[in-house]
Amino acid sequence: MPADGFWSETAQLVRAVGRALSITFRNFWRPPVTVQYPTVKRVYPDRFRGILALTYDKETGEENCIGCRLCEFICPPQVIKVEMLKAEKRNWAKTFTLELYSCEFCELCVQVCPTDAIIMLKTFDLATADRREMLLDKDRLHALGLQHEPSWATGNRLRDMQAPPKPAKAEGKAAGKAEAKEPAE
Amino acid sequence: MPPVVKYAIAGFIVLNVVIGLVTYVTLLERKFAARMQSRIGPYYVGWPHGWLQPIADALKLMMKEDVVPTAADRWVYNLAPIAFLIPCILIFATIPFAPGLGVADLNIGVLFFLAVSSLEIVGLFMGGWGSNNKYALISAMRAVNQIISYDLPFVFTALVPVVLAGSLQMSAIVDAQRGLFGWYVCTPLGLLAFVAFLVATLAAENRVPFDILEAESELVAGFRVEYSGMKFALIQLAEYAHMIGTSFLGALLFLGGWLGPGADRWLLVGSVWFLLKAMFVFLVVTWVRWSFVRIRVDQILAISWKLLLPASVLLLMATALMVALQGPRAG
Amino acid sequence: MPDRRAPEASAGAATAEAKAVRTLEIGYGGNERLVMNMGPQHPSAHGVFRAILTLEGETVVAVDAVIGYLHRCHEKLAETLTYVQYPSIASKTDYVSAMTAELTYVAAVEKVGKIDVPRRAQYLRVLVAELQRIASHCLWLGTWCMDMGGALGGGATVFLYAIRERELILDLFESLTGARLLYGFHQVGGVRYDLPEGWAATCRETVALIERRLFEYEAMLEDNAFFLVRTQGVGVISPELALDVGVCGPLARGSGIKYDVRTAEPYSSYEDFAVKVPVETAGDCYARYKVRMAEFRESIRLVRAVLDGLPEGAISSRPGVKSVGQVRIPKGEGYTRVEGARGELGCYLVADGGPKPYRLKWRGASFSNLSILPHIIPGCKIADVVAIMGSVDPVFGEVDR
Repeated sequence: MPADGFWSETAQLVRAVGRALSITFRNFWRPPVTVQYPTVKRVYPDRFRGILALTYDKETGEENCIGCRLCEFICPPQVIKVEMLKAEKRNWAKTFTLELYSCEFCELCVQVCPTDAIIMLKTFDLATADRREMLLDKDRLHALGLQHEPSWATGNRLRDMQAPPKPAKAEGKAAGKAEAKEPAE
Repeated sequence: MPPVVKYAIAGFIVLNVVIGLVTYVTLLERKFAARMQSRIGPYYVGWPHGWLQPIADALKLMMKEDVVPTAADRWVYNLAPIAFLIPCILIFATIPFAPGLGVADLNIGVLFFLAVSSLEIVGLFMGGWGSNNKYALISAMRAVNQIISYDLPFVFTALVPVVLAGSLQMSAIVDAQRGLFGWYVCTPLGLLAFVAFLVATLAAENRVPFDILEAESELVAGFRVEYSGMKFALIQLAEYAHMIGTSFLGALLFLGGWLGPGADRWLLVGSVWFLLKAMFVFLVVTWVRWSFVRIRVDQILAISWKLLLPASVLLLMATALMVALQGPRAG
Repeated sequence: MPDRRAPEASAGAATAEAKAVRTLEIGYGGNERLVMNMGPQHPSAHGVFRAILTLEGETVVAVDAVIGYLHRCHEKLAETLTYVQYPSIASKTDYVSAMTAELTYVAAVEKVGKIDVPRRAQYLRVLVAELQRIASHCLWLGTWCMDMGGALGGGATVFLYAIRERELILDLFESLTGARLLYGFHQVGGVRYDLPEGWAATCRETVALIERRLFEYEAMLEDNAFFLVRTQGVGVISPELALDVGVCGPLARGSGIKYDVRTAEPYSSYEDFAVKVPVETAGDCYARYKVRMAEFRESIRLVRAVLDGLPEGAISSRPGVKSVGQVRIPKGEGYTRVEGARGELGCYLVADGGPKPYRLKWRGASFSNLSILPHIIPGCKIADVVAIMGSVDPVFGEVDR
């Protein structure tokens, strides 16, 4: 005859099977978590690192980029190529190409830009059948910057967030600390 | 009309109904599984809810290129899907969907069903061998082991209602389950036999937790790995047809077949009840399938030979003893 | 066919070989062995990994592991990129557990350059490392159950549940850094991003939800006879074997060796948190499963502790990156080790005074863990190979670098 262990083991098996089935049953009634893109888009957070774009200055409407090539030097996969155009008052970028198909989206170019010229957008939707369309030139980058919503990060904001608080006077220190710590939304 | 023509027409109708049912059962399974996994399942094809998904899949498989491995054993490889399909479709010949509505209500119906459904293993092994592929071969060897071991408890548990009803004819078994709580699943022996039947079905169908022979993560589709296009479609069709067939058998033997309110007056209502019960059995099997991890082949065989076979033999003997003591159940 | 013998040396291999010999003696009839390839394209290879199995029937008699399919020259690449550029590349070694991978590199640079890291940054590093450990273990549980249960079966169910929870953590990381998988969160001297408004509250909610769902996973798996029979007694690593081969992380802790870098050599202010190291003695797949489930709960506790005690202050001791050669490390060399989700991840750095390292060597946790395979696999069935690979949890970014 089967030992006592047999019945307790069988009872345990039945209980375990019941528990597993009940978990799947419970999940059957939960609403699905699928977000049905592209009919429904989810809300991207403020710091979302999407595709890159160049910006214009808000007040004067001029291009922000001064062609300093800092972004070109820091890019790890070296996808940015810039040529500077020298002028009297300020420099410009003569050509600016960005190979988006190799971009790592690491945000280092945004981090170093002194004039907040290059930014990332809150969109990533640029799928095409032709890789040449992903070699973005300056006009395309500016057009993208006007079309889509920018994300929070710009060079100066990132550097302000990362900078250690400067030693300041007593009353200035409180205000300075509040500003340095302020994570603007 | 000569009987041959009558049977041919009936067979043709049943074949088409079965194939249509099989394709839509795949959709049912996918939606059911998706909801259990917090996702949606087929949606856009035949918007909403993927009503045209099975048609799209069938069309896709028909249009696919048929790649045959160079070193495959031609005749065995090409004939395997057909050898696999024929038994799985033939079992529907003996199932009565309603009193008088069926191709052939043989007086050895259950025996025919069980015998023919065991023949699928031949087609399966042909597929595994003919592919000339190590993965397929291992899968075929595991399949032979597993399906043969589980056909025995499958047969013994299916014989419990036969003994209780005293007949191998399927319509007689259904008639013996009339009355309130007359279904065999409501009796203690019948309930145990039903549970054992479900377990044996899971294994004989290669469903998780016994799907070691197709083990996606080890053998990547097992014996089907070298098939593509229409041959793959035939194999899938055969597997799901067999699954539906055993669900129908379970509903018939244990859940009272077409019996239900209004079944005696209208044939169609009886068929609908039968279909619902078969779908219930299918959904229970699907629910188990999507909840458990699989077990190893030696553990599967151990369960069959050490647990399920003795249990089903004991059940059958107990049923026989009970019937002999009480006399055949009336009604 | 070449007659491959299982490699010798150590108790584990001896018992495995003895078991294999016994199986052969019981009566496999011939010496008809089948050499079968598992991978590199395989649904359960956890990446690109090739295991050449020699089979007698269902039993694996020998295994020959071939790696290198994901070699991307990280160590040479590090010599061409500066200390400012490389952290976002470092996350690509252990890409499933990217935060700890970046931390390893940055901590090595800071150790060699003797750079201090402010307390808030240290606490933030602990916070993201522990959240990353939870996310990585979610992926481990999901893929392991999927390998054992099949892409069409119960395994896929656990996989989808685990990924559903992992997505919540990735959402947290997305609102913190902007990226979901490869973050670029660390920089030399601190971290790049500070917590946004309301992040701490969302983090607490997420972590509480995951804790509740853990009970569901355990209910689905732990009592389950199918799961137990697949994992108990499978892939036993004895403590001596573990020490000989040099495995680390949950593999060692599942065999009774109480070693966790977070307590043995605390880094980044881990000494402020009393980390409880879970240890099991059985050494089989089930023990490693229990260790990782306990690590889930411990990480959740640590996340809450960090959020409770997060100090104010700067998030970096050096100003934000403004130019590519900004960080120059004087001559020196050093090795840091970090407890990644898979074990001890280490980085040996040789600096020569410039903005780029002279030499960088990664010690991948999975690389050492994979060396256990020829010792424990011979004697198992094919299905056990899959279960063992899952419980070893390799990530081939670490292995091949």
